Amino acid sequence: MTVVPRRRVLRAAGLAGLAVLIPPELLAACSTPASGGKGPSFLVLGEHQAKVVEEATARLIPGPTDDPLEAGHPGAREANVTRYIDTMLGALKLSPPKIFAGGPFSNRAGSRVDDMASFLRLTPAQVSGWSSRLATFADQYRRGVKALDKMAGGDFTAVSTDKMDEILAQDPDGFMTLLFSHAIEGMYCAPEYGGNANLVGWHDIAWVGDRQPLGFTDAQVTLSDGPDVYVPKGIGKQLLGLLTTSPV
Amino acid sequence: MSRRALVVGSGPGGSVAAMVLARGGWDVTVFEKGPNYFTDLSSDLPGTVFSNDELKMNRSFSLPDPDAEPRVFRASPQSTPITGAVEALPQTVGGGAVHWDAKTPRFWDIDFKKLSMLGPVRGAEITDWPFDYGEIAPYYEQIEELIGVAGDIGQFPAEPTLAHAPRAHGLPMPAGPPEYSSLVVSEGCRRVGLHPFLAPMAINSRPYQGRPRCNNCGFCSGYGCPILARVGALAPLREALRSGAELRANSMVVKVNTAGHKATGLSWVDEHNVRHNESADLVVLAANSIETSRLALLSQLPDPYDLTGRRVMFHWFSEGSGIFLAERLHNYRGRDHTHDIDDFADPDFPGARQAAKEAGLPYFRAGKVELGGTQLPLDEASSYQEVLRLLAPQKPFGRDFKQLMRASLLRDRLCGVELIGEDLPYAANRVDLDPKVRDWRGLPVARITYGPGPSELAAQAFYMPWLVKLLKAAGADVAISIAEIPSTRFPIAQDQVPATEHVMGGMPMGADARTAVTDEQGRHHQLDNLFVADGSVFPTSGGHNPTLTIMATALRQATHWVGSA
Repeated sequence: MTVVPRRRVLRAAGLAGLAVLIPPELLAACSTPASGGKGPSFLVLGEHQAKVVEEATARLIPGPTDDPLEAGHPGAREANVTRYIDTMLGALKLSPPKIFAGGPFSNRAGSRVDDMASFLRLTPAQVSGWSSRLATFADQYRRGVKALDKMAGGDFTAVSTDKMDEILAQDPDGFMTLLFSHAIEGMYCAPEYGGNANLVGWHDIAWVGDRQPLGFTDAQVTLSDGPDVYVPKGIGKQLLGLLTTSPV
Repeated sequence: MSRRALVVGSGPGGSVAAMVLARGGWDVTVFEKGPNYFTDLSSDLPGTVFSNDELKMNRSFSLPDPDAEPRVFRASPQSTPITGAVEALPQTVGGGAVHWDAKTPRFWDIDFKKLSMLGPVRGAEITDWPFDYGEIAPYYEQIEELIGVAGDIGQFPAEPTLAHAPRAHGLPMPAGPPEYSSLVVSEGCRRVGLHPFLAPMAINSRPYQGRPRCNNCGFCSGYGCPILARVGALAPLREALRSGAELRANSMVVKVNTAGHKATGLSWVDEHNVRHNESADLVVLAANSIETSRLALLSQLPDPYDLTGRRVMFHWFSEGSGIFLAERLHNYRGRDHTHDIDDFADPDFPGARQAAKEAGLPYFRAGKVELGGTQLPLDEASSYQEVLRLLAPQKPFGRDFKQLMRASLLRDRLCGVELIGEDLPYAANRVDLDPKVRDWRGLPVARITYGPGPSELAAQAFYMPWLVKLLKAAGADVAISIAEIPSTRFPIAQDQVPATEHVMGGMPMGADARTAVTDEQGRHHQLDNLFVADGSVFPTSGGHNPTLTIMATALRQATHWVGSA
């Protein structure tokens, strides 16, 4: 994460008065990586919990090492989804909390400064909501990891990938559904939140991401990008079939 | 010493009221429950922390936190209540005009005189508004100038649009660039005899009053504008602040204090939940239909005829989705969508009178259709997560999921159309206080009881197939139409609770205190100096986006207050 001196963030964006939203702890929080460099250093997840989350999310959104047919297509592991999830679970331990990235711009589309790296102070109402939400999530992760381990005969990370899939498909206590939702966020969110490392999530789906202050030209809005034919096959064909048989 | 006016809510209605009062010499304070995500709002170009960030929006950055400040929804008094985000509108400085893609149609002549021009419908409380289209038209023009509406009225269809909402003058800015997907669907509309046109919208197509032109970033509907090419309520709020008004964010009004037939002031709590009292000579409620009704109920304002919070209207939406296999439509660029059709808002649309008759109704209407729009990757991924449960229950994740994301059938190849269906006012559709659920401050939350009547369902049944028809005519390989929320008639729906973000009614205007909460000027019938300036006062809902009409109505009303006070 880029560490930007506070004054420069404010001046560059013309946001001098926003100081009220950005308390002095900002620099400290920005310069303390959620999980730094090599080796596990998590805010909430224990070492084993993190490993289970890592292996499980790699089954949900597999990369090249998880599914040979996904060669060239990074997945949850490459996007660092586990770090995203831990950062979310521990967001309120940071100051400011890593819940809402700042604005108006990142440094990906024409701005030299990444305002989004400076997270925003929460209102007491937001703190109240997120405290209860994150406490519930933390409990669901504790119990979910235990359930996966139990179904794997002790250690989820020790079983075959086929067995992992079989266990996850049973969605014990809804944990797979929750994990999948969070893996999706970690895969396709703005990278300031700790996931989508090196923008691999966005690149894999040809997504431009945030676009300010560059925007698009009027021609890019109005004109066709040209033919790009999708030939229905596999799961895409099934989806089209499902929609075709839907009511109305 | 100038007289003191307190305004509850900094959204479109409250900001207009504050502007008029401050310019009229009143000492105005605007209370906003939510945070202020802007700096220096009286300047030409305020700063903001809004950004192109889908996760931030999904985490309710600009909305009430669904756990800390939930609402309760029931489809009927017998239904199981659902607690969470219900019709959540932005709770920040700027209110509902922060999240919008700023589509600014006018209501029609028949919306203001529905009872006189279209007649009653059994079971519904249809009344005329206290003014007609001709009277509100100059206020529309002032608001269009103030917030900067772009569009070309020369392209509006003579029938039905201009026939029902005539224009004396052009708009202050030319139209912005049309979106490719909207053009594709417009062509389909033309092929089946409909009348698409570039919709008016309050988004800068050129620099306007110190703010830049829109650069087509695409994070429009649902997002605060990072460059303020789209400001809505911030335009009148700027005028209010420049005329001396004070804005207090993170300040929730919890009670209107009264004595006899007067509002004496407000009780409000600050960010730290510390209670304060403020006296006033005039009080304006503009917290949005649901929260204004909630505040009136929390304050136990006099309500001798049990009207407060009743007749809420949200618009009965239906959604169409077309999937195009030959090309990617890049629907994520530009102003969410750029074209509309008004045909289905016309009670005389071919076949509609006959279908109404067969349903035992004197007439029905739906409303405008927005042509274009799609979802961004997080929402797209959630769609596949749901779909895979049906398609691949033995392994609803993995490679299949990633293949769907790359094919992007439900994002880059999707074009949505959204039908706004007029809601009739029903006494049973109401806001009251939930007997159990409290917000984080300990106050009872709004409970919403809301469902369609025979008119909404008959119109939906008639027009939903049209959404499929126009998408197919546009070349969609697959097209479906689905209700926004379920009903007995259409049990399969996109969502379980209403989220149309068009909230109206609850404190309707009318001359008769036995049938209306507020009078012809939006003054509370029981309290001489209490006024309502948001969508609460709408007696009927029209079939178009309500914000421009909220602002024009607030302008008319506040002009009367200043003139008469």
